Amino acid sequence: MQQLVSVTLSALLAAGLYATMAYGLAVIYGVMRIINLAHAGFMMLGAYVTFTLFSRFSLDPFIGLVVVGPLFFFFGVVLYRAVGKSMARSGATPSIESLLLLFGVWLVLQNLAYVIWTGDTQSILTSYTMKSIEIFGVHVGVPSVFVFLASAASLIFLNVLLKRTYLGKAIRAVTQNRDAALLSGVDADRISATAFGLGTAFAGIAGGMLSTLMAFTPDFGRSFLLKAFCIIVLGGMESVTGVALGALVLAVLENVLGAYTPVPTSLQDAVSFALLFVALVAFPQGLPALFARFERKAIR
Amino acid sequence: MHASHSWRVTLQAVFLFVFAGISARAQDSEIRIGAVLPITGKESKIGGAYKAATELAVKEVNDAGGLLVRGKKMKVDLRLLDDTSDAAKSAQLVEQLIVQQKVHAVIGGYGSQLVQAQSVVPERYGIPFISGGAGASSIYGRSKWVFGTLSPVENLAETQMDFLFDLVKQRKLKAPLKISLLRENTEHGKDFQKGVREFVNAHPKQFSIVLDESFELYAPDFRPLLMRVEAAKGDLFMCDAHLEDYIAMHRTYTQMGLYHQMVTYGARGADEAGRKALGAATDYIFASGWWSDLLPYPQVKAFNAKWKAATGNNPQWYHACAYETVRALFAAIQNAGSLQPDAIRNALARLVLKDSILPGGVLRFSKTGEATLPFVVTQNKPAGKLDLVWPKAAKTGEPVAPIPR
Amino acid sequence: MKAFKASLWAASAIFVLAAPRFLDRGTLNDLWNLAFAVILASAWNLLGGFAGQVSLGYSVFLGIGAYTTVLLSLRGVDPFLTLPLGAILAAAFSFVIGLPAFRLRGPYFTIATIGVAEAVRVCASSVSFTGGSSGLRMPAGSFDFNLNYFSMVVLAILVVALAAYIKRSAFGRALAAIKQDIDAAEALGVNSTRFKLAAHALSAAVVALAGSLYAINFQYIAPGSVFDFRLSLSIVLMPILGGVGTVIGPVLGAIIFSTLQIKLLSIPALRDSFLFIYGGLLILVMLYEPHGLVGVGRRLAALAASAFGTNRRIPDAG
Repeated sequence: MQQLVSVTLSALLAAGLYATMAYGLAVIYGVMRIINLAHAGFMMLGAYVTFTLFSRFSLDPFIGLVVVGPLFFFFGVVLYRAVGKSMARSGATPSIESLLLLFGVWLVLQNLAYVIWTGDTQSILTSYTMKSIEIFGVHVGVPSVFVFLASAASLIFLNVLLKRTYLGKAIRAVTQNRDAALLSGVDADRISATAFGLGTAFAGIAGGMLSTLMAFTPDFGRSFLLKAFCIIVLGGMESVTGVALGALVLAVLENVLGAYTPVPTSLQDAVSFALLFVALVAFPQGLPALFARFERKAIR
Repeated sequence: MHASHSWRVTLQAVFLFVFAGISARAQDSEIRIGAVLPITGKESKIGGAYKAATELAVKEVNDAGGLLVRGKKMKVDLRLLDDTSDAAKSAQLVEQLIVQQKVHAVIGGYGSQLVQAQSVVPERYGIPFISGGAGASSIYGRSKWVFGTLSPVENLAETQMDFLFDLVKQRKLKAPLKISLLRENTEHGKDFQKGVREFVNAHPKQFSIVLDESFELYAPDFRPLLMRVEAAKGDLFMCDAHLEDYIAMHRTYTQMGLYHQMVTYGARGADEAGRKALGAATDYIFASGWWSDLLPYPQVKAFNAKWKAATGNNPQWYHACAYETVRALFAAIQNAGSLQPDAIRNALARLVLKDSILPGGVLRFSKTGEATLPFVVTQNKPAGKLDLVWPKAAKTGEPVAPIPR
Repeated sequence: MKAFKASLWAASAIFVLAAPRFLDRGTLNDLWNLAFAVILASAWNLLGGFAGQVSLGYSVFLGIGAYTTVLLSLRGVDPFLTLPLGAILAAAFSFVIGLPAFRLRGPYFTIATIGVAEAVRVCASSVSFTGGSSGLRMPAGSFDFNLNYFSMVVLAILVVALAAYIKRSAFGRALAAIKQDIDAAEALGVNSTRFKLAAHALSAAVVALAGSLYAINFQYIAPGSVFDFRLSLSIVLMPILGGVGTVIGPVLGAIIFSTLQIKLLSIPALRDSFLFIYGGLLILVMLYEPHGLVGVGRRLAALAASAFGTNRRIPDAG
């Protein structure tokens, strides 16, 4: 029983973390059909900016996110204006060119970080970093709980933004059919810039939050990138709720494998990448579509 | 004629010329030393430290006028390249340095996989190669040209077990002890595991292994793994990890409220970056390493002062090992009195560096080209203090065992 | 004109084959690297360029070739005899991936290939018969650079010739039709999956051959080197840089790429800005000439044509 509680809590916390890593990727993919390799670079930069705010101005990393978010939104919009024009023109299929372009951006960001912060390992230690709270007799780290809460807040924020505002409707219109959106008077280019900024902001925020959990170097983010892909694929590539769902599935899988099977933990990543492949082939529209199909069957 | 063909002709001509070689002219007024290190990429942290220490060692020699070869002082020209932590590039760059820049000797990189890839090259060209950053035994003994100053990682694990065994003999720890053994999925981790296992097999009355797991580098979430550790109920926690993973894992370890009588992260633990990231949670962690600035030799004190003056920081083991690697190579070149590869190689094989800053105070290479020096064990104490607790002859404080709850 | 072009290719081929007679070892090493890059780029181009199926998982095939060679060599088989087996295994594995994955289109296919490649990498570094994360070394005394050089260069020449042949064949036209509009191609009776599978298998086999030769020359392989995601990325980078879907594009891309990679890294002064240069160049090329060098060439040709006032059509490169 205790183990079940422990596994459930661990899975929830991990899901929060994983969803955080993937929101930005999903927003950008949804609107522009771009596989954003620079996502890892944005996360790395987010971690370093949070670190600088913390060490220079003793700003708490979670409060620092209030600065990081808008800063990265601005950065994303500027970046889109500078190099993004060539990314937006393809409609349904993403161009491999945009993928490589953003790979180039990632490399430049990495070099920038080496110049500014050197290759040394950095970390953030606050008064609560090592603290834990007890939930149903299970100790969970305070920063992990904060990350989970922030992740849940991000989910609500993005859902409200995308479903209830004009901007969100415009973004969804562009997501669904760029040409039709253009015809109905939506400034698709501007919407794309906003979405790119939004995605960058959430990548930066993710980096900032990850910096409270682990140490980082300019190479930070590389190992999370593929996991984030896995999550947005499971989540159906477009919807933010889907991302949260995908993150949950992956987190539950990892924790259940860890607790109830003898599968070596070193093979966990292989399991998630294999899952990515199977998920893509079996239900390319992601989990939400799969659930929808089940629902329809149940009604019938 | 199609217009497009003109550029095609040009481009094809260009590529023929590009490869017709930018090769260094061989002038032996300087000693050319090549070095290939992972300055960027996943090994960048320690790769960068190796670079700083290597450059300092070379600068010192050049400031003093150079090395004495054939009766005249010759300056050292260091050609230090970055392999971006990529094994294939690493080997290619070593080859480049030897073939095109005509270096007299090569200083190898950091990280077993990278040095493995590099170490096949020197044999082909007969150029001496010395690495200060790879303690995997499988690298050595295959080529007479390959030397290394890091003692084998198995011995590191064995030293830790010797230390623990001694604590049992002192009755500080009560046998039998169950070990939870974790390791990163690298050659370093494998050698660590091997060292612990061999010792445990030889001492079945005192030790047993109850958990033996490996993990991928830079995992985002160590909770599932640590839940297994919790379930295994071991007495000792022994893990071999990179600095980043040590920090992330030990944070989760502390938050989960885990306890073991003794905790080690292999060579990690005394690192300042680790203490900065983990604070008081690093107290009583013991680590064994290739070097410590607490070693009571006069040459170590001199090195500490020199390093502090040059960089403003206290030296870490990787600085010392990189520095000593360069010094060993330079001593061999002076002993050889020649820049002939054979002469340098033989001088390296015969080298006895008597005032070495490494543990034991004398650096020499075994038949396989690998140094086998004793290891030190340090233990973190509260308020940022650090004690050398092993070997006993050099200790600066008593080991605390078991860790107070 | 055609004869001139063919003779140019032939001259390049003869040059690289005769190179050991008059070039030094360092330059030959560069040429070996170049040949390796040309093979990877041209092979990827068969599927990625001709048929438009962008795979980011080609390191898998390279790894299969390399591991087959080393594992068998360690058991006493002559390394060069292992080449066909590596190629067959890679082609077989390409079916295993391709059969399900080719149902996916565009980015979904690309991401699926990333997933497979990463899963294979993690497995290779966890199971013991591959030597795990420590990798494997070739048995001692099996190194002959001249032989390695010739085999790599000959393979490169054959692959480029094969690409040129395919481009003009019915097979190549079918791939082009699939790239243009897969539904239309299907409607015209092209069995797209069959053609894609064939192109995939062919390129996988070629990449595996290159992987075997790579292992023979480097003598040490590990999951971190032959199954690395960065490797898959470079394989895609070269044809894109040069001009995707053409015959000469991947070759040009490989020249630029292999030169940049090692030459830039081997200049200590540029050491700290290597990623800047590399990333910046990538951004510039993608931003201003997504058709790669071939696109630049076309523009120059058009410019030249208009400057000389002639009224020729802009020829299709390839």
